[in-house]
Amino acid sequence: MKYKDYYQILGVARGASDEEIKKAYRRLARKYHPDVSKAADAKERFQEVSEAYETLKDKEKRAAYDGLGSFRPGQDFRPPPDWSERFHAGGMDDLGGIDLSDLFASFGGVHARQGPRRGRDYEVAVHLGLHEAARGSEVTLDLGGGKRVHARIPKGVTDGERMRLRGKGGAGAKGGPAGDLYLDIALHPHPLFKPSGHDLYLEVPLAPWEAALGAEIRIPTLDGQVTMKVPAGSKAGQRLRLSGKGLPRPHGGAGDLYAVLSIAVPSVLSEREKQLFDELRNESKFNPRGHFG
Amino acid sequence: MSGELIVLLELESASGLTRAEIVELVEYGVFAPQGVGPEDWRFPEVALALARDAARLRAAFELSAPGLALLLAYRERLAELERRIRELECRLPR
Repeated sequence: MKYKDYYQILGVARGASDEEIKKAYRRLARKYHPDVSKAADAKERFQEVSEAYETLKDKEKRAAYDGLGSFRPGQDFRPPPDWSERFHAGGMDDLGGIDLSDLFASFGGVHARQGPRRGRDYEVAVHLGLHEAARGSEVTLDLGGGKRVHARIPKGVTDGERMRLRGKGGAGAKGGPAGDLYLDIALHPHPLFKPSGHDLYLEVPLAPWEAALGAEIRIPTLDGQVTMKVPAGSKAGQRLRLSGKGLPRPHGGAGDLYAVLSIAVPSVLSEREKQLFDELRNESKFNPRGHFG
Repeated sequence: MSGELIVLLELESASGLTRAEIVELVEYGVFAPQGVGPEDWRFPEVALALARDAARLRAAFELSAPGLALLLAYRERLAELERRIRELECRLPR
């Protein structure tokens, strides 16, 4: 079992009063609660802080935690031989193979010892590439404390989606059911495609003459390149929809791919190109600012 | 999440909210179960994630049910606005 220093996590001394512990928790909860914090590791930090508080706020659990001794954070340790008896942690036979938080979630308190107790729930972030989300994927998740779970992610998950794997969380105690595992899906940013639900957006730069005259161009999709017809007189910001070329939906069909047009201008012009643009300027009656009056 | 429906007891045990709290949050419109009364209620599975978030927020900030309902409503509005911003950003060429 790996040691976690709950006092250090809350930033309080080992002898801190209940009030000090509560105050420290409130401060850190405000700082790291995933609903209010934008920090990348907010969720993990908040879980850590909550776990520490759940144990230290309860007199019995705190005494049992203190009874474990003091180790370095992350250090492998075993509770003292008489620890289970002293703190009535019955039913926890294999203390070596479990996580410290499971240990304290499963014992302590008169009520907890009376009957079956549901295992704890786990919540982990699963980072996927866009192609993995489109095809479906298999992942192995490390839940800490040596616990690993293999999970199949079906095709068609979207960024921010939460999946529940029933019974894949912590083991129950005294015949109680196992907890659940929640997977928070987060998609890695893709250099070209921006997902919005099952739709994808792709910026498509056009040369000025392609926008003016229309063109047939090749653009990438998740399934490879396709040909897209750009109508003559296309404008920057205009969206062209490629139906069914977005992310697949879980129960069939797929979102759409939107090509958002932009006009790119060469940063360096050859003499000949300059000459042709000059000719166009002199020839054209087009005034893009005519509406200014 | 699948389209599975869950009963009140399961929502209670899996979220950490009490029955009374869930009933109150239903009254405030946070959850909208199918069925006519608590014994008959069926919640969509997505309600579970929301209930777990509610339990966490309540524990972290010692919120009452009305405060919790208000916070969850604001959070939902914020998420909707963020979603719309993301979508608009997607439509903007770089």
